[in-house]
Amino acid sequence: MSLVYPNGVRALDNVSLEIGKGEFIFLVGHSGTGKSSLLRLLYREMAPTNGHIIVDGIRVDRLARRRIPALRRHLGVVFQDYKLLTDKTVWENVAFALQVTGAHTRDVQRQVPRALDLVGLAHKSRMYPNELSGGEQQRTAIARALVNNPKLLLCDEPSGNLDPANTTEIMELLRRINLKGTTVVVATHNQAVVDRMRRRVVRLDNGRVITDEERGYYFLGLGQDQILSG
Amino acid sequence: MKSGGITSLDWGRIRFFLGEVLRSFTRNAGMQITAIGTVAVTIVMLGVFLYVRAAFIRVGSEVFNQIEISAYADPSATAGDENSIRTALAKDPRILSVSFVPKRVGLAQLRQRMKGQIDTSLLTENPLPDKFRVRVRDAQEVPAVAQSVARIPHIQNVEYGRQVVQRLLQLAAVMRRVGIAVIVLFLLVAGIIISNTIRLTVFARRREISIMQLVGATNMYIRMPFICEGLLAGVAGAAIAVGALAVARASLLPKIALALPWLQVNTVAVDLSSLVLELFAVGAAVGVIASWIAVGRYLRT
Repeated sequence: MSLVYPNGVRALDNVSLEIGKGEFIFLVGHSGTGKSSLLRLLYREMAPTNGHIIVDGIRVDRLARRRIPALRRHLGVVFQDYKLLTDKTVWENVAFALQVTGAHTRDVQRQVPRALDLVGLAHKSRMYPNELSGGEQQRTAIARALVNNPKLLLCDEPSGNLDPANTTEIMELLRRINLKGTTVVVATHNQAVVDRMRRRVVRLDNGRVITDEERGYYFLGLGQDQILSG
Repeated sequence: MKSGGITSLDWGRIRFFLGEVLRSFTRNAGMQITAIGTVAVTIVMLGVFLYVRAAFIRVGSEVFNQIEISAYADPSATAGDENSIRTALAKDPRILSVSFVPKRVGLAQLRQRMKGQIDTSLLTENPLPDKFRVRVRDAQEVPAVAQSVARIPHIQNVEYGRQVVQRLLQLAAVMRRVGIAVIVLFLLVAGIIISNTIRLTVFARRREISIMQLVGATNMYIRMPFICEGLLAGVAGAAIAVGALAVARASLLPKIALALPWLQVNTVAVDLSSLVLELFAVGAAVGVIASWIAVGRYLRT
């Protein structure tokens, strides 16, 4: 599968990748190597120039415009900048994802507390995003992404704006979410995160997959002993 | 989880939706007031125009209704000939009614009209022919009917207000054409202004819209609050306009009646309820269409 932007930039070049159900996978690489583009293809923010994209059995690359909302209800997306609404409380931000998809109030009342419990923010549900730390804002965003019970969670630099302590907290949360059976895809260039988690690492460079390792490190060929001695 | 069913009434959902519309409406209050004001001005102009047009059509149709064809029988025509004229006229479906004015009555009417001006007692013989006064169903048919009446045997001469009829018919046609052009122009102006206002509110809410799209709201759902907003602006503008028109009509009409008595404005009955309904419908339609276009452009990008 390839993606060429209208300005001629080849964002992704013959990428072929399979992600299994319940996996936890890191996409790593320098800025502009196509990590975000790959995620955007998965939630159909963009369509590939050629090739197939299949998410949960659905040909996403061929999806009709009117079917895109249905796809997005079955996956969650988290960004570096949280994308929260500042004039809504934590509770309202999470509920928003259900309300604008026409969910019944009964379901909103049931799902929102569950999602807030999962991210540990039940006690701050009445606060506004500006009153929260970066980590709490990101947890709110994760709660919003999970409130629809998606099978797939896409994270684009989830720790990009966070200090190490908050980053650890967020990664721990993602790990717990993964343990409950949700497939998690994290695009990041945070070396510490990747090296600590020891999960599948797909390394992109210039729009190509250059390595794909089970239990990989951020840098290619950097073994356990080298970390210890270095 | 599937989206909730729409089978049962869900007050929480309705309250959320109305809250969103209201928030969006009040956030751009300044611009909304401008839009409502422009719609109001536009609809006032439209209302005046439609009222004058309706009044004109009313006056016009009264004038038309007074038009009749006078058909004069040949002086040598016998009573039998005149009977056959009458049956010929009765057969024409375009003719509404026929009245017969025998020359004796015609002379009496002439004497009455000319009383004190001409000494009609000098007339020893009746110079007038017998006359048929023909009224036509549709004023537009008058020239054609006059022609066919003239072809009936023993009809010597046919008269009708040829020039008056033709002028009125022309004027009515021009009024209709100008009217459509003016209305289209007004609506376009109002539509563009509402559309721009909505585009501003769409822009102000672009973050919210992008999040809605991200979590899987349908375009229809995203569009709905803006459509409601446009509808609200259109209807509010129409309401203000109708109020202003009602006040203007109450205060101005007596003055016009005094200044231009020949217009007979007081006796002209314009169907006000349908006019008001039309203005509201126009306001609502302009609001909805304009906001639909404004949001549509944004959602496609």
